[in-house]
Amino acid sequence: MQRRGWWVAVVLALALGLSLAVGPVLAADEFKIGVITSLSGDLATGGNVTKRGYDLWGKAVNAQGGIQIKGKKYPVRLIYGDDQSQPAQAASAAERLAVQEKVDVVLGPYASGMTLAAAPVLEKYKIPMITGSAESPLIWRQKFRYTFGTIPPVNFTGSAVIKTLAALPGGPKSAVIYGTNDAFSKATAEAFQTTAEQVGIKVLKFNILPPKQDLTPLMSAAKVLNPDLIAFGGHDEELINLVKVLTQLDFTPKALLMHYGVTEPAFIQALGKNANQVLGASVWTGSMQTKGALGWPTAKAYADAAVAEYPKDPADYTQAACSAAGLVFQAALVQLAAAPPLDEAARTKLVEILEKIDLQTFYGRVKFATEGDYYHSNAGLTPLTVQILDGKERVVAPAESAQTKLSYPMTPWNKR
Amino acid sequence: MRGRPAWLWILLVIAAVGTVPLLIADAFFLRLFTEALMWIGLAITWDLMAGYIGYLNFGHGVFFGVGAYTAALLITKGGWPFWPALALGGLAAGLVALVSGWPTLRLRGAYFAIGTWALNRAVGQVALVLDFTGGPDGMRLPPFLHPQFFAYVMLGVVGATFLILWLLLEQAPFGLKLKAIREDESGSLAIGLNPAWLKLQAFVLSAVPTGILGGVYAYWITFIDPSSTLGDLITDQAVVMAIFGGLGTLIGPVIGAVLFFSFKTYFWAYLSDYQVLYLIILGLAIAATVFFLPDGFWGTVANRWEGRRALRKGLSLGQAAGT
Amino acid sequence: MLALLPQAIIDGVLLGGIYLTVAMGFSLAFGVLHIIDFAVGEWIMLGAFIGLIFTKWLGVDALLSLPVVFVIFAVVGWLLQPLLHRVLSGSRGRPVLMGLVFTFGLALAFRGSALTVFGIFTHSLDTVLSQGSWHLDWGPFFLTVPLIRLAGLVYALAVILGFNYLLKRTDFGLAVRAVAQNKEAAGLMGVDVNRTSAAVYGLYVGISAMTGVFIGAIVSLNAGMGPDLSIFAFFVVVLAGMGYLAGVPWAAFLLGLIQSFFLIYFNPSHVLLALFSILYLILLISPTGMFRKGV
Repeated sequence: MQRRGWWVAVVLALALGLSLAVGPVLAADEFKIGVITSLSGDLATGGNVTKRGYDLWGKAVNAQGGIQIKGKKYPVRLIYGDDQSQPAQAASAAERLAVQEKVDVVLGPYASGMTLAAAPVLEKYKIPMITGSAESPLIWRQKFRYTFGTIPPVNFTGSAVIKTLAALPGGPKSAVIYGTNDAFSKATAEAFQTTAEQVGIKVLKFNILPPKQDLTPLMSAAKVLNPDLIAFGGHDEELINLVKVLTQLDFTPKALLMHYGVTEPAFIQALGKNANQVLGASVWTGSMQTKGALGWPTAKAYADAAVAEYPKDPADYTQAACSAAGLVFQAALVQLAAAPPLDEAARTKLVEILEKIDLQTFYGRVKFATEGDYYHSNAGLTPLTVQILDGKERVVAPAESAQTKLSYPMTPWNKR
Repeated sequence: MRGRPAWLWILLVIAAVGTVPLLIADAFFLRLFTEALMWIGLAITWDLMAGYIGYLNFGHGVFFGVGAYTAALLITKGGWPFWPALALGGLAAGLVALVSGWPTLRLRGAYFAIGTWALNRAVGQVALVLDFTGGPDGMRLPPFLHPQFFAYVMLGVVGATFLILWLLLEQAPFGLKLKAIREDESGSLAIGLNPAWLKLQAFVLSAVPTGILGGVYAYWITFIDPSSTLGDLITDQAVVMAIFGGLGTLIGPVIGAVLFFSFKTYFWAYLSDYQVLYLIILGLAIAATVFFLPDGFWGTVANRWEGRRALRKGLSLGQAAGT
Repeated sequence: MLALLPQAIIDGVLLGGIYLTVAMGFSLAFGVLHIIDFAVGEWIMLGAFIGLIFTKWLGVDALLSLPVVFVIFAVVGWLLQPLLHRVLSGSRGRPVLMGLVFTFGLALAFRGSALTVFGIFTHSLDTVLSQGSWHLDWGPFFLTVPLIRLAGLVYALAVILGFNYLLKRTDFGLAVRAVAQNKEAAGLMGVDVNRTSAAVYGLYVGISAMTGVFIGAIVSLNAGMGPDLSIFAFFVVVLAGMGYLAGVPWAAFLLGLIQSFFLIYFNPSHVLLALFSILYLILLISPTGMFRKGV
């Protein structure tokens, strides 16, 4: 009885293995672009943003016939590996893309943890990866040779908004800063805190909270302190909850700052007029005056193309950074001038090209740092301060990119 | 039964499975192979408590996480080599079981389930708030990417666990004693057993291999954080695999783990466009299994075979007796 | 910080009110049917979404969707209960585990369906009470009581009182209590056990769905909100003592107060650690719930 059971288990395992070991047959007249991102699991919201960015690029390139190498055009094929918001699956996806699909390059995950798990695998196979999303400074400190990022680290973007606020006449003098206890949000809150202390804003309270905590008691305590500024690092659900708690407690600070997620349509839809005047940090909006040497000619062209393809999801900076990542690969591959499939030597040379690349895109300038704390991340962008006004995202700082003036202080909730 | 003892068969099967990494060197396949083995280990150790004693440990993952973090801390901050760090990971998990088991095993049924779940979440919070463990950023281990190494390590750990559990549960009286507790705990006192001590032994026994698996996981994936090692996913999947296979035996969870893992991987690798449907299909599959096959796949099949054997035996006895 | 004391208490009580809404139906289901429904969070989530659809479709206040949501889900629960009954009463045994895993499967299926149909975004329900609050100023103390949270508390207490009346003063309640005590004996006494059980489960699902509308209005709703709610339902009910309905409000308020005080007076990042540790310790000291009246 038990013996038969054993053999059943072994046979099943072998069957599974053999069916997977015989991978699909390869074609050599296209570039295979692996994509690792969170299509399911807790981080699926963000993962889908990256998917839209990568897909937009893939479609745009193929609409032109593909990437031109030595007179022939090679279309790109995006092959997805879902990391399911788990590091083990990110590593597994990386291995599958490398070994079974034999991709030429990889476009990277939404979250830092997944990037940290996938990067060593891709280092082993010498496959270059550019991520349009993962913002944790931890990644760059590991100095992975084959991993790059088009988004600057979050401490880079977060500090700029605080500085903008401090520079306002009659700006905030005191702040209460909170952050959720996950890699990204915590780094955001810490960036807010460090910068606030540098520019002379008194931080009355700084706390890191477990995720999805009820914020009422905390905001009750904050209300007593009556800070000018409340700054919060967290994700979409928590951001909405925060504003709702503030309206319920009837406390309107002079400025309310969150990082990512304020620009999501869900935020504005869920909160209606209460979303107005909330501040956020970004590195790109569709209104910027950028000029693209490759791909979409201007930021607006990209924003329009994105909305045409995904009417319910206007492009945000993560999506833009992902499309830009594709453009960077495109430019680098053209410079490499090697036909697919790329062998290890070609991919190593590609990394050398990426390190030297200096590309103007609709997203801004992409130039990867080659040493220091921001190794292989794109520290050349200008951080923007954005504000929701009349239900739309508007750039309010720095002056050269501003569309309109920063509205300060906030109108109390019950007067809206 | 034919002459050879069961443990020899088990060793032979382990050896047979052990030839697979030599025959198939595809790194992705080996990764799946390694992961499947890990889940087998998690499912059988969970079944030890749930199937043999009837105690549902909904915080089983805490042992995995403690093992993973202990090994990771020793390797990165202590500079320890892999093997001793691994051993200590298992030991740490066993210690957690020993210390928490004594009070927790007094709880029954749903209370035990929720209590162990609370413990798991509490430890997860500890890892999240301490800077020492990296907090939400997790910990990175030095990469050592050798698929065959990890395939063999995982096979060794899980194979040894299976063998030891087999000897203790199916050969030695220990297994029967545990089942006696499952059937009637107060009654078992009457026949001279010491349920508290037996339960504690089983609890620690289920913890140590799980901790070792956590340590292997940490070194293998090179990155751990609280949500991946101390979250609910580890326990949830182990539970589902054991149920699919059938509780109360060692083979049931093995089959359940292989089946579930194959289904999950196939879906993930080849049907990723339909990933949203995965949850629906999985949920319905679990509900259907519980509804139609409460003994799990292996359990139902085994019962049928037993039934037929008994029937045949009964008929042949009947014939021999001339009726 | 003493000035914050009344607010801390109120916040804790209101938070406890939310936990009460989540746990009360669940406790009824366990007490009578001995089901640990892993899908309680999903019922709440689905109720919230149906409330959202109803509200958006008719452009009315979210609270008006409550009766509609209740009726729909009560019927769904009524129809589903016989399936559950079959799972729990199998001659194969282990009803607790089987019920748990079966409802776990249902929870996954519901969650997946919600993700497919409603997507991944977070939504919010609007009501006329959403922005109102009562202010009380008295010397150094001040109090802000958000109306929508107060409404949640009122709803929870209304349901609890309603249960009490139903169980103690109606024939139906008598039948329910009989079934809870001893199904076979109840059947022998002429109670239609199947119908009563189905009605109880329907009641539980309907109430949980209404809770979803409140939660969507007080905080927010999204397809993945189930598991976190289920956890709190379990904790509250286990703390109260499984099956001991009268203990549920106390356990809910205790959890709410602990959280509130911890967040205001201690280090917020440790709040969940404190909560889970306290729960664990209480279980160890009093294994059948804090009143020792659990099943």
